[in-house]
Amino acid sequence: MKPTERFKRRYISFSLSLSGKPPTYQEAKEMVHSHFLSFFGESGVSSLAFKLVKYDVPSGRGILRCERSRADEAIFCMACLSSWKGAVARLEPLSTSGTIKRL
Amino acid sequence: MDIVRFEPSSNEGAGRALPVSSLSNFFDAGNALAAKQACRKKNALLHASSYDVEEGDLLELARAGGALVFSLSDILLEYGFRRAILISKMRLALGACRKRGTCFVFATLAKDASQVRSPRELSAFAAVLGTTDVERKEAEKNMARLAGWAAKPKGHLQSAHAKVPSALGTSPPSAKKVKK
Repeated sequence: MKPTERFKRRYISFSLSLSGKPPTYQEAKEMVHSHFLSFFGESGVSSLAFKLVKYDVPSGRGILRCERSRADEAIFCMACLSSWKGAVARLEPLSTSGTIKRL
Repeated sequence: MDIVRFEPSSNEGAGRALPVSSLSNFFDAGNALAAKQACRKKNALLHASSYDVEEGDLLELARAGGALVFSLSDILLEYGFRRAILISKMRLALGACRKRGTCFVFATLAKDASQVRSPRELSAFAAVLGTTDVERKEAEKNMARLAGWAAKPKGHLQSAHAKVPSALGTSPPSAKKVKK
């Protein structure tokens, strides 16, 4: 497939915290995936082209990918996360870019 | 600019966030009757938690120069199907505001520091509800106007508009009311 025919991507860097601390990789992956799945549903996640690209455990920072026209929805979804398994959680979007390098 | 329900300290963005207690024109309407009464107040910032405001009330709110407040913390408190219903109600309320020419603003109305969200997140919230870029900028201006109006003493607004030179061609709508 030509690059022009593929979906246009946006990368969003984020900061993740669970009870004030950065969660482990498995916890972060489960938290982000379950939250996006609950918010968008299976069909929504597929059309969003969502992917957790990177997550750094010590800093609690990571990068996720979404479709360009739905970046606002992805950021709103991130803002809607306030708790996970009874603990206070925060998924804070930091910056948005078309390339991972520019984040 | 944002409105919150607690007194923010300096490290919680006190410059950007205004506590509800400092705004004399902010009204929380729990039911339709309370919303109807609040709509008549001048420059009112009306937050109806159910978002079931009648179109007639929105027309009155528009005439009084007020705005309807859309709160992000209302969404944070709900989960699943109830959250979906609330977002749907907000979209309907926004459509009614457009139809009746009522101003609207977006705020977090956070009860504590954990519910405070960044301007980018508030902008995304507004975009998800279906606002355009122009409407979002207009909402920011409305927020500055209404929050500023509540913070200033009543005489200050009149004297400020009285100094506007007539050579500019246009004068603010409130200045016209003062002349009457």
